[in-house]
This record gives sequence, C-alpha cells and structure tokens, in this order.
Amino acid sequence: MNSPFVFVSIVALVLLSDDSVRGSYSTSLPKEPFLGIPPEDVKYYSSSHGIKCKDGSRKFTTAQLNDDFCDCPDGTDEPGTSACPNGKFYCRNAGHVPVIIFSSRVNDGICDCCDGSDEYDNKVKCLNTCREAGKAAGDELKKKIAVYQEGVAIRKQEVEEAKVALAKDKEELSKLKSEEKELKVQFELLKERKEQIEKAEEKERLRKEKEETEKREAEEKAGKETSETAEEINHERIEKGSGGESDTSTTESMHDERIGLVDDYPSDQDLEEDLAAEHDHLSTAVQDQGNTHAVEEKDELVTLASEEESIVSSEPNVDAESKHAVEEKDELVTLASEEESIVSSEPNVDAESKGDDASENADELSKEELGQLVASRWTGEKTEKESGEDFARDNNHEEQSRETPKDTSDGIDDIYALETADSEKYEYDNVEDGFDEDSTVKEHYDFSSHYEDGSDSDSDDELDFEDLAIQKFFSWVEKMKKMWRGILQAINIFQPPVDISEAAQVRKEYDELSTKLSKIQSRISSLSQKLKQDFGSEKEFYSYYGRCFESKQNKYIYKVCPFKEASQQEGHSTTRLGKWDKFDDSYKVMIFSVGDKCWNGPDRSMKVKLRCGLKNEVADVDEPSRCEYEALLSTPALCKEDKLKELQDKLDMMSRERMEGHDEL
Amino acid sequence: MRTPLSLFFLSLLLLLSPSDVRSWKKDEFRNCNQTPFCKRARGRKPGSCSHVATDVSISDGDLVAKLVQKEPTPDQEDQEPVKPLALTISAYEDGIMRLKIDEDPALESPKRRFQVPDVIVDGFESKKLWLQRVSTEKVGGDEHLSSIVYLSDDYEGVVRHDPFEVYVRERVSGDRVLSLNSHGLFDFEQVRAKKEEDDWEERFRSHTDTRPYGPQSISFDVSFYGADFVYGIPEHAASLALKPTKGPGIDHSEPYRLFNLDVFEYLHDSPFGLYGSIPFMISHGKARGTSGFFWLNAAEMQIDVLGEGWDADSGIMLPSSQKRVDTFWMSEAGIVDAFFFIGPGPKDVVKQYVSVTGAPAMPQLFATAYHQCRWNYRDEEDVENVDAKFDEHDIPYDVLWLDIEHTDGKKYFTWDRVLFPHPEEMQRKLAAKGRHMVTIVDPHIKRDESYHIHKEASKNGYYIKDASGNDYEGWCWPGSSSYIDMLNPEIRSWWADKFSFENYVGSTPTLYIWNDMNEPSVFNGPEVTMPRDALHYGGVEHRELHNANGYYFHMATSDGLLKRGNGNDRPFVLSRAFFPGSQRYGAVWTGDNTAEWDHLRVSVPMILTLGLTGLSFSGADVGGFFGNPETELLVRWYQLGAYYPFFRAHAHQDTKRREPWLFGERNTELIRDAIRTRYMLLPLFYSLFREANITGVPVVRPLWMEFPFDEATFDKDEAFMVGNSLLVQGIFTERAKHVSVYLPGKESWYDLRTGTAYVGSKTYKLEASEDHVPAFQRAGTIIPRRDRYRRSTTQMVNDPYTLVIALNSSQAAEGELYIDDGKSFEFKHGAYIHRRFVFKGGKLTSLNVAPATSGNLPFKSECIIERIILLGHAGRPKNALIEPGNVKAQIESGPLLLQGRSSSGVLTIRKPGIRIADDWTIKVL
Repeated sequence: MNSPFVFVSIVALVLLSDDSVRGSYSTSLPKEPFLGIPPEDVKYYSSSHGIKCKDGSRKFTTAQLNDDFCDCPDGTDEPGTSACPNGKFYCRNAGHVPVIIFSSRVNDGICDCCDGSDEYDNKVKCLNTCREAGKAAGDELKKKIAVYQEGVAIRKQEVEEAKVALAKDKEELSKLKSEEKELKVQFELLKERKEQIEKAEEKERLRKEKEETEKREAEEKAGKETSETAEEINHERIEKGSGGESDTSTTESMHDERIGLVDDYPSDQDLEEDLAAEHDHLSTAVQDQGNTHAVEEKDELVTLASEEESIVSSEPNVDAESKHAVEEKDELVTLASEEESIVSSEPNVDAESKGDDASENADELSKEELGQLVASRWTGEKTEKESGEDFARDNNHEEQSRETPKDTSDGIDDIYALETADSEKYEYDNVEDGFDEDSTVKEHYDFSSHYEDGSDSDSDDELDFEDLAIQKFFSWVEKMKKMWRGILQAINIFQPPVDISEAAQVRKEYDELSTKLSKIQSRISSLSQKLKQDFGSEKEFYSYYGRCFESKQNKYIYKVCPFKEASQQEGHSTTRLGKWDKFDDSYKVMIFSVGDKCWNGPDRSMKVKLRCGLKNEVADVDEPSRCEYEALLSTPALCKEDKLKELQDKLDMMSRERMEGHDEL
Repeated sequence: MRTPLSLFFLSLLLLLSPSDVRSWKKDEFRNCNQTPFCKRARGRKPGSCSHVATDVSISDGDLVAKLVQKEPTPDQEDQEPVKPLALTISAYEDGIMRLKIDEDPALESPKRRFQVPDVIVDGFESKKLWLQRVSTEKVGGDEHLSSIVYLSDDYEGVVRHDPFEVYVRERVSGDRVLSLNSHGLFDFEQVRAKKEEDDWEERFRSHTDTRPYGPQSISFDVSFYGADFVYGIPEHAASLALKPTKGPGIDHSEPYRLFNLDVFEYLHDSPFGLYGSIPFMISHGKARGTSGFFWLNAAEMQIDVLGEGWDADSGIMLPSSQKRVDTFWMSEAGIVDAFFFIGPGPKDVVKQYVSVTGAPAMPQLFATAYHQCRWNYRDEEDVENVDAKFDEHDIPYDVLWLDIEHTDGKKYFTWDRVLFPHPEEMQRKLAAKGRHMVTIVDPHIKRDESYHIHKEASKNGYYIKDASGNDYEGWCWPGSSSYIDMLNPEIRSWWADKFSFENYVGSTPTLYIWNDMNEPSVFNGPEVTMPRDALHYGGVEHRELHNANGYYFHMATSDGLLKRGNGNDRPFVLSRAFFPGSQRYGAVWTGDNTAEWDHLRVSVPMILTLGLTGLSFSGADVGGFFGNPETELLVRWYQLGAYYPFFRAHAHQDTKRREPWLFGERNTELIRDAIRTRYMLLPLFYSLFREANITGVPVVRPLWMEFPFDEATFDKDEAFMVGNSLLVQGIFTERAKHVSVYLPGKESWYDLRTGTAYVGSKTYKLEASEDHVPAFQRAGTIIPRRDRYRRSTTQMVNDPYTLVIALNSSQAAEGELYIDDGKSFEFKHGAYIHRRFVFKGGKLTSLNVAPATSGNLPFKSECIIERIILLGHAGRPKNALIEPGNVKAQIESGPLLLQGRSSSGVLTIRKPGIRIADDWTIKVL
C-alpha cells in the first residue's frame, strides 16, 4: 500500500530520534507508523519537512507522529494512539467498510474495529470479524434496496394519483362554489315567500285568538275550578333548573337539570359520572330533609364543579340536620385552604363543626388517602395506576379530569370546530369513519348502503368512493334544481291568500334548502381546508388526508392521523397526543403538537419519524421524555429514488471492499 | 359515603390548584411553637437551671458525679422529689472530652432512656485516658468549688459544682475553649410513671402521638470561645456559617431543626430540617482556632444559634475578654452523650470527630466518577440508547441508575419483567464497557402477600410496630407498606442476605444500590414520616431513634453488598437519610433539590457542611431534581458539579429529558468538557478520598479549613477547596458577565485552564466565561492528572499520568498520588501505591509514603508519567535529567491543557517516561 521507502525511512527515524522512549512504554506504540490514518491522508503525513497540525497551530516532526504524546491540540499528530483528546482513528476494516472512531477507543481494552486494529498493546486480543460483519451488512443492505425498489414504484403511482385527485378536488370545489351561489339566490326567494306566508298566518292567528278570548270569557263566568297550584310548582322547578325547556314529571326534570348542567361543563365523561355518583350519595344522605335541601346541595356541587377557582361559598342558614353534609364539605374546604385556594366557609355553622384546626379536618381523609395525596405531589397521576384498589380507580377520574382541564379541552374543541366550520364536531371523535366529510355527505344524501361501511382506509377504494360521491351529488343537485323551479313557479302563481297545505309545503322546502345549503357550504369549507394542506414536495402525502394509522402497544392503541391529530386510546378513554402541526426535516418527520395537557408537565406532543416501507405502518411508539411521544411510520412516500441510488452505490462500494478484503486475506 | 365524597372534593382540589401542589408545604411540618418540648425549652430564661454537682469522684477512670436540683422549681413543688442524675466525664486521646448525663441506672425508672448504639467506632474506647485524679479549686471569684481533670498536656476539663457547668479550658492561660450550661439553661425531664390525670398525648394535624412516657426532653446551652462563627449541624439548605436564629435584631426565626424529613420541594434558605441529621457543630475564630461539640442523640433536636446580646438581661457573667458564640440545644428524648473536641485546628476537630464516629469509607474508583441518573430510565432499550449516546458523543460516564419504576410494582429486589426482561444481560452489556449500574432499594416494603420480602418480614415479626404492637402500616410508593426494623442486628443480617446474587434475582457483580426514602418517608404519616410512638426492637420508641433510622438502613444495605462480595468488594450505597457514622457506609446526596439558580448556589454550603461533619462523599443532583433547568443553568451545574465529591445528574420524571447531548452542539461540548474535567482530575480526587478515609478531612473543604487565619474566608461559601490545592468558584447567576473570586493566602494561584498567575489575598473581578467556572491551583502544590479520556474509568487503568507543579515563591511544591486496584479491600493490606512528590531546589523527587508496616499484599502498576508541567518556574530550562538511568527529557513551553491554547510561563517536560510506582528524581537543567 505505502511505498516501501517511506515506510522504512519512518521506522528508521523513529528509532534514531526518539531517545526518550523507554522500557515498557514503547510497547503501546503502534507498529505501523501510519496507523489510524485514512489512505487519502497518508500523503499529508509523508512530508519530510515537518507536518502541520491541521488546525495550523504548530508543526511536528515525523518522529512525533504517533509517538503517544500529544503535540497538536486537534490530535493531528496522534491518529494512531489515544494521546490526544480529540483525535480520530481510522480502521481499515478490510472486508467491511472503513470506520473512523474516537482515538479514546485506542488500546482501551475494547475491540471497536472489526479488524481489531484499535487494540495493539496486547492487553486484549481482538478477532477480525470484518468478513462476517461485511457479509451481514451487505445482506441487510440488499434487503433494504429491495424494499426501496418496490417502494419507489408505489410512490410514483401515488404521486400520479395524487395529481389527478387534487385536480378533481379543485374542480369539485369550483363547481360547488358556483352551485352555492345559485342556491343562495333561490334560497333568498324562498325565504321571502316564506315570510309572506308567515305574515298572513299571523293575521289569521290574531283573528282566531280574538274569537277564543270571547269564548273563554263566556266560559269563565260559568265556573273556575282549575288546579293552579300544580302548574305553579312545575313552573318553579323549571326556573330552578337550567332554564329547562320541557315540563316533564318532577323527578325527571331534576335529573335533566343535573345532566344539563354537567353537559354545560364539558369535562370528560368520567368526571361527569363521578359527579352523578356523588350527587346520588348526597341526595340519599339528605333525603330526609326534603327535596329542597337535596337541590341546594346539588347546586353547590355543580357550582364547585363548574368554577375553575376553588372558591366555595356556602349558604348561610344550614339547619341542624343537614349539618352533617355541610361538615364534610367544610372539611374538604379546609383541605382546600391547605392547597392555598380561596375558601369562604359559611358563617353560621356552629363552632363544633368548624373544628379546632386544619388537622381535625384532614383527619377525615383515610390514611390511605392522605398517603395518596402526598405521593401525588411527586408523581402527579402515577401511583394510582399500580394499585388495583377502588381508591386507585377513583383517583383515575381525578387524574383524567386533572389532565383535561376544562378550558384546555374546550380550547381544542374550539379550534377543531373552527377549522371545520359547520361540520359536526363528532367527526373528530370518530376517526374510524375515515373520511369524515364523505361520511357527512353520505348520511345526508342517502347514498346506497354500499358506502355505509366507510371505514375502509385503503386508498384505491377511497378514491372510487370519492368519485362516486361527487358524481351522485351533482346529479342530485341537478334534480333538486328542477324541482325547486317547479315549486317556485307554482307558488308565484298562487300569491296570497294563504293556502294551509301550501304553506306547509313552502316551509318544508325552505327547511330542506337551508339544510342543503349549509351542507354544501360545509363541503366547500372542508375541501378548501384540505387543499390548504402541505402534501409534500410531490404531493406524495395526499392520500394520507383523512386516513389514520394504528399501532397497538400493550394496553394502548396509538393512532396517527396525518393532517389531523395523534391520539392514544386505552379502553374507552382517548388522550390527544397532539394536533397536526407540520412536516419537519424536509418531510421526514410529522409533528403533532398542543395535545392534552400533562399534569405538572407540558402539553403532549408527538413526533412521527417517517421511513421507507412498503406498507403504511406505525411502530415503536415511545415516550422518551414525559408527554413527548415519538413513533416510527414506514411509508412508500419516503422511498425516494435518490436514496435508492445512494444505497446501491453503497452496496457497490461494499462489494468492492469485500473483494479487496478477500484479496488481502 | 364519606370516602367517595371526600375523594370527589380531593380530586376537584387537585384539579383546581395544580400550581399550588408544587410548593413547600409549610403547614405540614411542625414549627418550634407546635413542638411542645421546643416551645417549653425556648421559653426558658437563662439561669433557670438549679442543678448542682455533688459527690464528685473518680471511678473506672472517669470522673463521676451526681446532679441534683438545689430547690424544686415552682411548678414541681407538689410533685415527687426529682431523682438525681448521673454525670460521667471521660477523656480520650487526641483532645476529646466526653460528657454523659443520664438518669441514674441504679434507680427505678418506668423506662430506660435510649442511648444510640452502633455509632461510636469499636476502636474508640481503646483511646480512653484512664483518669487517675480529680483536683478541686475555686475558679475566679466563684463561691463554690470546681473539679478539674486532665484532658491533655494543654487542656483540662472542669466541672463547676454550683451553679452546675462543664467546660474545657487551656491549662496555662485558663482560657475557656467550650462550655456547657454556662447560661444555666440545662434541663432534663425525667421519665415518670403516668398518673391518671396526666394527658401526654400530642396532636398535630390529623395525627395523635400517644406519648406513653410523657415529656422526657433535654436542653442546654453550649458556648464556643474565641469563635467568630459556628458551622455544621446538617442538613439544612442554609449558609455555611450559621446565622443566628435568636437574639437582638432577629424578629422571628425557627431554630435549626434536626429531624430527618422528606421535604417536598424544599426552600433554598431555611433552618428547616431536611433528610439527615448530624448534631455536630464546629466553631472557628481567629483568636482561638477551632473547636467542636457533638451530641450523640437520635431524637428530634432543635438548635438555636444565639446572636450577640441575646442574654443581655440574664445577669450571668462570662469571661468577657473572650469572644464567643452561644448556642442552645434541645432534644425530645435520649440522654446527654456529648463530645467536646478541642481542636485547635479545623482539621484537628474533624479528625477528632471521626475518631469517634469513624472515617469515611474508601469508595470504588468508579463511584468517584460521573453518574447518570433519571427517574426513570424506562426500559432496557432506553438504557441501551442512553449508553450508546454517551459513546456517540465521546462523553465518559461510569454508572447508569435505575429509579423506582424498574421494579415490579415497587417491590424492591424485583424487576418489571415487561420493561426489564433481561436485567443481567443489560448489566453485562454495560459492564463490557467497564460501566456499572445502580438500582434503588427503598425501606418501605409493599404489603403484598405474594412478595417474598413481605412474607418473610411479617412472618418473622421484622417490621416496626405501631404504638399498639401491630405491624405499622404506612403509605409510600407501593401503596400500603411496612418498614423493616433495622435496629435489630439479626434483622439487619437477614436484610443483608437479600443482596446475594441468588436472592436478588437479576443482579450481577456490577450492580450497586441506592437507598432513598429512608428518613423514613411515610406519605400518610405525621410530617410525612413515621409516628413517634411506633416501636422498634427492644421497646425503643421511634421518637428516640428517628434520626438514626436511615443510618441503620444504610448500614444493613452496605453490609449486604459487603457480604455479597465476600468482604472484598467495596460497597457503594447512596443514602438520602444520614446520621453520624453514615460516612462509613457510603455516599449521600442533598435530596430533591430544584432546577433553580438558588439551589445551585446552596449546594455548595450544603456539601461543605456535610464534609465538615464527616460525610465527605456527597453531592447535589446536577441540573436540579424538580423542574426544567434552562440550558445555561444546566451547563453551569455540570461545571460546578464536576467538583462535587459525588457527581451525579438526576431528574424528576415530569421533567424534560436532559442528557448532555440534548441542547445543541455547543452545549454538548460544554457539558462534555465539564465531565472530562472531572475525569482528568480523578487521580487528585481519588487521592483525596483516600486522605479522607485515613483522616476524615473532607475531599472538598471550606476555604477557612485551608486558610484558618485568613478572616476573609470565614463566611465564604461560594467558593471551596478541592483538597489543599484547588480553589473552585461557582457561577450562580444567569448570563453572568463577571465573577468575583477571593484568592486567599500569601501565595499565588494559577488558573486551571490557562496557567495565568494571580497574587493571593486579593479579590478579583474576572470575566465569566461560558466554558468553565473559575478554578485555580494554589502555588506550592502538585496535582496529578490523567489527560486521556475513555468511555469510563475502567479503561483508564493503564493510562499515563500528568503532574502539574505549581511553584510557590520559593520555587517549591508538594503533592501526593494514591492508587490502588479501585475496587477491593486489599489496600487495607498494603496493596496500594502512595507517592509524595516534592519539588525543591530545581529537583522533583518521588517518595514512597506507604508505611513499611502497612501490609504485604503487592499492588503493581506499569503506569508512567507522560508529562510534567511546571507553572511559575523562574528560569528557561531546555532539558531535564532523570535518575536513575541518567536519561534526558526535553522541556518545551505549554500548553497547560491539551485542548487549551498554549500560554506563556507553562513549561512541559516531554515524555519523562518514568513509572509512577518507582523512586526517581528529575532535575531541571
């Protein structure tokens, strides 16, 4: 490899000049003068007039090259020893690929190079494993190349399809927009007509009312024995509630009232259940005091639940019997004060129930609860998971409600709602339905049952499905237009007086048109939303829109829905790991951010790394840092041609290396 | 219905105030006023003690006396007469006086008071001086007699009879050194039989302490003479020089509390008691030097440092010519077993203290290197990745730690089989790179019938009992838990067996142990710990033992590792709780600190204080346990932490990942440099650990320990000394532009990086550099280094050394190097190399300082010295002559650090090629 002359002269130089090398010290010097130097650098080191440190800081002599004493701060003079802290050692690794390692690995007793060249001080024997390693690496690379080859083809096809589909989307959008315009005009006309009819109806109604009043006055004189009281009570109850709209039976209305209120507070379902359970407890406890008390207690609970700050104000005149319940509340209130929240407890509770100090009240927590409470400071949510006891289960509610505080979930919902304009919120709770917009269309436009099962996420099917949907949709619009024209003409012919059956007809048509219009608008909105997305440099990610990829790991199901969100499901509870943010690292990474908030931590987020693969598969979901998730998604979209070429070149090079290695061996 | 309702509210509260959950819970802990014994004692007036010493005589080489009360105090009038107390004074070699006061064992008592066993080292009694005679005299203008005994040629112990007082004085001058009860605050509540009308229960929050033996506290004042400051009594997050807690100008302060507690998010400046307790106080002053006072007592203690003028109206006269610091000590139970350390130098006092409680254990080499920890490295893959990343970034580390989540349901000695299916293989993979692993073993045992430890412990009655005699049940990580009673030697031995490779399934010889939560932490106990009326072996109440609880657990675990290694593998056990003597069993750290600059700042006085009180091997969690450090703080923490005796990064599970490579290339580089600095200085550190192991003098030291006559250093706690040679100054503020450094002493200092010289006894305002915290080598010292970086210490075994010689004004310097096999106890039988390097008259000499008698096991090292650096050399020499062999070596200029720029005035002797094990000289020509 090197010219024999240089080799010999260097050996001679080393022997002649380095007189301070003594005894055992010399054994750790490399036997080959250019050890650790890459072939392309040998020339640099072959100068006979002194060699420069690569950082230019100073010069050193050939004798100082690899003499196990560091002269260059950058390690230039010691490529083959561990003397310099920042040195680099080149392993030839004949039969495999050459590698550059930190010179701190030289003679450290661990075999790092497959040719064993990094360990030469005889303290450890390294076998040459380069051939085996080279073969294994070659096989691995071949497999990878095979995947890439197939993947590149799939990708090409997808890119083509995406182009077509995108064009269709755009076309549909513009069609829809013009359709919307037309329908709006018709809608205005119909609206006008409807108002006319309503005016006429109002006149008619007033006339009838007058007649009836006269009639009733006559009846009243005859006698007035009607039960007013019942009605009043009912009325009162409704007032007490959420301004209820129905007048069902007393018990039912109470129930609704509660549910209604809780619904207003869109916390998660578990908390809601919890509330319900607590309410039941409370109601039974104070049932003897009558319904009024139950209602009061319940109201408090609800207030507590719906207010973010723990400001608890209780009613002043609690009577003796209900004190028990109040006491309990007070205890917890004291607890709250320990947590430094603001509490005003009721003024008229007698001294006894107030307790001497905080300790009395904390007593009411069982020992376990207290332990749990203190543990939760360190762990937040986690201890409960380990325990199968009831307490732990109960605390899970607490945990979840804590993790999805009201405003956060609200906020996210709002964002989603905004994004999708009029489209229903539930779409996002029901990811399996695949393309949500389509499922909406499907429902309202009564497609044939063939499409009912829309969960199929196979891209071909979906394209078909879309095509068909659009086709049907437009033919339907045409049909409707004709019908409308007919109706409108008919109406115009018969201007007032109002025909009752006709009025109903107009109203019906008005409602229908208004619904249809909003559906079209919704579709426009979702389409424009879709077209706004970044589908990649070649739109290779187009087919990901509306699709989700799942991975089951232990008890969790992870779902990655590009352009939408990533989530983690455990049984029926879903945690949002992040909302679609963007592609990163030139379309090699998908970022989902601002997921559900972590207790004591950041908002959850997820980073999905993409790699070439034949199927779309999520794997290796991980949480390297608390609430920061990572996953791997293999996809043909990442099987790029230039990368394939790179791999092929690498294989070629490896084969050459192996051939050479074979020759050397 | 109560439970679910309260749970409901509980969950709401947690929901509503998440930010409040993260703060120190002041109300959860008792203050002095809520602690009856403390409140009583603190409320007493100077001079209220009416004890007098009678029947003074010599018995069994001790001075013995009775302490009786002259007249009953008003509130005791209608009670039975108070029994006399038994007083004993003993003298020991090296200037130690021991004072014991207990109830007279000859008299009936409802309960024997607890005297902490197992702390005083075996050899201590053999150092007792057999007192022959006691003389009496009237000291000063005293009305009554004092009894005087011999302590050393220079010091005497004095018992003043009436009023009762005990003190040490200098024989010739008669000057006092330290005294007890000079202010008449001594009080000793004797154990009484409970009468029907006695209500001894104490309530705190939801907890009731039955206190079956009633009040039994002890309190007294101690004065240190010729003192400017007092130090010691860890563990508090407070300044090194203890601030007064009572006296003029101090509105309200708690006393320094010694009660081992698991304090969630502790404050960075508070006398509040933390995880460990060492009732050992050191005074230092320019006038007299250093003295120490140690009270061996494991019950809750509260200590006031009394500000000057606190006793203005007491009317008690003390020698006014002597400056002094008064202190007031209160303990809930136990006896008086107090040690007076005469000094007179700072290192003397520490030596005296460790002659009682034992010198720090010699750690394994790996344990003195860098540790990587996090709650939690999740699974085997995580471990593998973190390990690989260190290599990828060429950052050395020696130990990877696993916190509680590695276990199966917080059952220690088990593995989560999903996350860690192959623990042995995992450890072997680390071991292949010379790395070690540490797993956590906590003292709370999960009450789970399928758990073998629990089954055996409950069957054998090994658990601590509650006040009514049943196994005590508390709540900790695993849920319902019980706690092994380590006071019982039989139980400790049983526990130690659990660490054998057969019993601890999945453990390998490279696995070591971490004891956390051993205060003990009990989440639902009073003040997050065990009730004081819980019962230990021999009927000992937990209140009497509390502060030693963690000590016993640490001891049993350390014994376990010792047993595992057949007595020839040095244990490594990190403990959070500690007590005097803990230094014999392993390292401690400052617990759950926070990622804030103030916590970085307070880590220095905390570690210095631990070192002063015997616990040389200590550190603070680098980066701060709670919260997310800004990158700059993390980097600064690494830069300072590299000089902690125990150097470990750790983080809470809620925090973001913060392994060294996660903050961009530049910061990775800065952290790598910081960690490498530690590895470079490991020969120095290891030699210092050996010094501590022999003398007790800590690895890192307050400046005044090395400069006892430089008053400017007395209250400095931003900078510290590593050994006697290196001064390190932390940077504790964000985006600091400048940093002030006081360089003490008459000699110069050399910047550790550049070799730039600074004149001593001056304060410098230096530019703060992002790449290091200031560090200086003291002129007159020699520091041994290793300049090659490896994956871990294991690969450094054969690497050559560098000596850095910083010459003083007389062109002289000295330093030491200690080497052994880094793991076994063979060093105890002479298997080590200990050299002293002396540079004088232009010649460097290597001398053997291993005593010829130290043993006959050989230790061989082929290691050579590759480089000798001279700082502050006057001439311009070109060559050096090495003897034996008459070999020449070249001398060239700089650099001081291989990666640093070369600077003027740094000379390097190239490749002297001499072996570290040999005698040789090098003459600079």
